[in-house]
Amino acid sequence: MKQEKIDKVPAWLDFTQSATGLILALFIMGHILFEASILVSNELMYKVTLMFEGYYFFGETYPGIVSFLAAAIFILFIVHAALALRKFPSSYQQYKIIREHTTRMQHEDSSLWMIQVITGFMMFFIGSVHLYIMMSQPSNIGPYASSHRVVAEFMGPLYFMLLLAVISHAFIGLYRLALKWGFMEGKHPEISRAKFKLLMKAMIAVYIIVGLSSLGKYTYIGLTHDFSDGVKYKSQTIHMENH
Amino acid sequence: MKIIYTDVLIIGGGLAGLRVATGVKERGHDAIILTLVPPKRSHSAAAQGGMQASLANSKMGEGDNEDVHFGDTIRGSDWGADQEVARMFVHCAPKAIRELAAWGVPWSRVQKGDRTAIINAQKVTITEKEEAHGLITARDFGGTKKWRTCYTSDGTGHSMLYAMDNKAHEKEVEIHERMEAISLITDNGRCYGTVARNLMTGELVAYVSKTTTVATGGYGRIYSVSTNAIICQGIGQALALETGIATLGNMEAIQFHPTAIVPVGILTTEGCRGDGGLLLDKDGYRFMPDYEPDKKELASRDVVSRRMTEHIRKGKGVKSRYGDHLWLDITNLGREHIEKNLREVKEICENFLGIDPAVSWIPVRPTQHYSMGGIRTKYTGESQTLKGLYSCGEAACWDLHGFNRLGGNSVSETVVAGMLVAEYISNFCDSPESSMQIHSSKIESALKCEKNKLEALLTKENGEDTYVLRRRMEEIMMDKVGIFRNEKDLQEAVDELEELLKRSKNIEVFRSKSRAANPALVNAYRTQKMLKVALTVAYGALLRQESRGAHSREDFPARDDENWLKRTITSWPDANQTMPSVSYEEIPVATMELPPGFRGYGQDLTKHHHETKMRLSTVEAVQKRLEEEGASRFEIQNALMPYLDKLPKKYRQINERLGENI
Amino acid sequence: MSEEKSPRTLKIDVLRYDPNDKNDFPHIERFEVLEADGMTLYIVLNEIREHLDNSLMFDFVCRAGICGSCSMLVNGRPTLACSTLTSKLDAHITLAPLPLFKLIKDLSIYTGEWMRYLNEHLETWIHAKEEVLNFDKLEERMDPALADEIYELDRCVECGCCVAGCGTIQMKPSFVGAVGLNKVARYHLDPRDKRSDEEYYELIGDENGVFGCMTLLGCEDVCPKDLPLQSKIAYLRRMMMKTALKN
Repeated sequence: MKQEKIDKVPAWLDFTQSATGLILALFIMGHILFEASILVSNELMYKVTLMFEGYYFFGETYPGIVSFLAAAIFILFIVHAALALRKFPSSYQQYKIIREHTTRMQHEDSSLWMIQVITGFMMFFIGSVHLYIMMSQPSNIGPYASSHRVVAEFMGPLYFMLLLAVISHAFIGLYRLALKWGFMEGKHPEISRAKFKLLMKAMIAVYIIVGLSSLGKYTYIGLTHDFSDGVKYKSQTIHMENH
Repeated sequence: MKIIYTDVLIIGGGLAGLRVATGVKERGHDAIILTLVPPKRSHSAAAQGGMQASLANSKMGEGDNEDVHFGDTIRGSDWGADQEVARMFVHCAPKAIRELAAWGVPWSRVQKGDRTAIINAQKVTITEKEEAHGLITARDFGGTKKWRTCYTSDGTGHSMLYAMDNKAHEKEVEIHERMEAISLITDNGRCYGTVARNLMTGELVAYVSKTTTVATGGYGRIYSVSTNAIICQGIGQALALETGIATLGNMEAIQFHPTAIVPVGILTTEGCRGDGGLLLDKDGYRFMPDYEPDKKELASRDVVSRRMTEHIRKGKGVKSRYGDHLWLDITNLGREHIEKNLREVKEICENFLGIDPAVSWIPVRPTQHYSMGGIRTKYTGESQTLKGLYSCGEAACWDLHGFNRLGGNSVSETVVAGMLVAEYISNFCDSPESSMQIHSSKIESALKCEKNKLEALLTKENGEDTYVLRRRMEEIMMDKVGIFRNEKDLQEAVDELEELLKRSKNIEVFRSKSRAANPALVNAYRTQKMLKVALTVAYGALLRQESRGAHSREDFPARDDENWLKRTITSWPDANQTMPSVSYEEIPVATMELPPGFRGYGQDLTKHHHETKMRLSTVEAVQKRLEEEGASRFEIQNALMPYLDKLPKKYRQINERLGENI
Repeated sequence: MSEEKSPRTLKIDVLRYDPNDKNDFPHIERFEVLEADGMTLYIVLNEIREHLDNSLMFDFVCRAGICGSCSMLVNGRPTLACSTLTSKLDAHITLAPLPLFKLIKDLSIYTGEWMRYLNEHLETWIHAKEEVLNFDKLEERMDPALADEIYELDRCVECGCCVAGCGTIQMKPSFVGAVGLNKVARYHLDPRDKRSDEEYYELIGDENGVFGCMTLLGCEDVCPKDLPLQSKIAYLRRMMMKTALKN
């Protein structure tokens, strides 16, 4: 048999898009849950931020860790976006064709992809803003600091949009990822697909409820808290000099 | 004026046409296929149940060989078949199926060990041999002594056609799609190709070739209800007829399939009964054992169709708004079997009847299914009277099927005939006599003639409505040239069809005047052709005063070998004739390997030929003597009716099978 | 109340256009047909042609759901018209030709050319080691379950529904679509085909092949033959990834 040298790049591009997508989706799943710690108490949320700043490992906080994490995610985000861009309609003509197609077909999975395109497009901007802030102001995360950003710095509406976009994008993406690679498809792929789809919808619902509740809580704190002392949170149990 | 030259022109892109094209291509000749539809959409795809080839791999096929297949085919044909052709066919069928296996058909295979099957409504266990594991398996079909019908689920024709078309792609066969041949170009007693019309643009093109092969399938659509695809309109036969030189054989031999669904006439495969399905009447009573205690549901197709009709006539049919029908019950086969081996049947039941055949009975009745008749050819596939014109597959009558075709022999015939005819055509093309001697003015006038005819249809005023003529023809054929025939009906049919033919010269294409893609225009010129074909069928049936195979005369219920052991030959020498010319071709008893006998269905009414007895005793004597001398079955066969020298050299080898010739 | 309901009048909107007619332009034409028992779109369209407009162009061949000729958009979705019962649809039905394929006239499209190109491009035939095989000998053995599995994929009728149902190919017509990928999966499965993984990679290891698929699954959901397209495309994706890793 002839053994030609094959061009492996397309395989790697496809794999990398899937892999970055998977990591980002898993990250988001964790992110929103951690952030929802505010629903339990300000104290818990504070501890979570401390954890990410390395307090429980080093005994003191290094906001640089958060910067580093945000930068890493940002890179994944950019790689993922760049790869996903290949699949986007590349002209108005193409956009029109795919719009007409999905409208005509009334086909759920095609429409879901359109949602991903739109949410993906949204995230180019709002996702970037969010990631940049996290990178540049890593220490400004906390029950009060975050609330202040949501309300006083007018990030609330942006977060609201980002939340809807990122959750739907992530779970639709995970669903598609499973089907794309035949993950756990079993003997009856159509049945596992139906199950995955149900799971996807349930997760979107749960995460939107959780995410919106947290956002509500931050907004509430942002509106009611007295920020005259600054945005730092004073923990009852952990006392740090530089915090 | 567009003229395309080639060596081998093939009209029709079904199994037979594709196999011819592939074969001549391999021999180094240029081939062009003209086809109405993409080849993969040909009616060959609709063959569900299987292809007969005596491989003898499965337990129930043990002991099968060419001799058994030959006997079944001849008995099935009611001794109407050409026995030499049948011998050539049964000898090559195993080769054809193995070739297709190599070309990609995923034939269902033997699974060693025990399996359950339904035979005669009983569950039985069949133990397949270890050494047969993985070889091509077979199912039971009507009228066969062994389980010989090889299959891929119930999509046999589909998978064969796809493999064949793909092979044609590999061989770079040129395929001109949506090109309809509308007349054959002849000069000096030789066929030089065709005038074709592009169905998309309306352009007329002359294809000029050394040989022209008609592989356009049957003419089922002259009936109002048929299992055939709607393109099976007998146009190929009409083209041959309209040359005035080529002849058609046994056009009255029309097969009715017992189990097409009601009302739309879509086929459910014979495999349903082969796998153990039953026929039931309105009381849910299994009636076939009463009529045919031996073969029951698996009697030959013509027999089952007649018995069903008889039973319906006794008032045992199920009443419906579309007329009476009977039930096909495959519920006993079990869901697993149906979903694996009868998938198309299941889909058809779901889509067209809205029922699940694993739990409900299927409404069926006998429906026009196959045309045994066709362009009369020699064993080489060449017309007996028009040089350079070839035909094979259902379109032809080289005469493998006589008056009744066995289920599973049709797709088998297409590939075997294609394989052989490709060689004969190549031989001809290799010979100096193949060089073309036709003046371009002849081609031009052929083109002009067709152009004028089309213009006349489009510009005629106060003419006849095509649909009216067409529908009437279909009704006549259905009502008067059906399963049971009689003089009164046939005479009426012939008279009225002749009248319709006269009227058809006056057809006007109403409203739709486009010269390009125009379904109304197509319908108009095809109807003119179909009427001629219908007349050959009805007239042949009227003249044949006996019952043989599928041709069943109520007024002449006996098979009459003395007077009618012959083929009906029809032609249309003068374009102004309103009736076909008919002559007969004797089927010689003296050279038969299997002399005429009783088929074993119902009462034996046969009026034997005066030579039959003598031939029978000769055959028996030869057999006895050679057997005593310890001759092989091949030697005995050769002594009775030699045929191998007629086959192309490459196909003369003996077939290997388990336990034989290995 | 009476059990016999009076039959519905079907309103059939057909997207019509004759590219051969310079004065014509795509337009919708409405036909009204009285519904009958067990009526399919095959019957509907033939009634229209016979009684209302003899110039209406459409393609049927087997009219039994076997040949794949009559694919069209029924209420926007690609499907085989012959096996579509009107009783399963609303009284208002829209019919349009499949997009992407060359239009011949009205509902008639030229799928043959497209599919032939695809087959030639993907070389959808058995690539055997030796060309001359002896067919007098016993056939090569094959595992019965494998034969069934190959047949499962061989059931494709090239109707083009998956192509019309695929969002990707609408935007990028050079994509081979589910029909092409399914064929490759079929030959990849077939032990008689001796092509190496690398040769298959050459065929479909790019954005026009399996890596172009965005898993919109229109193909899977409209395939009239219920082919396991989703699962086979996933299989190919894994195979091609493995091949890339191997090299």
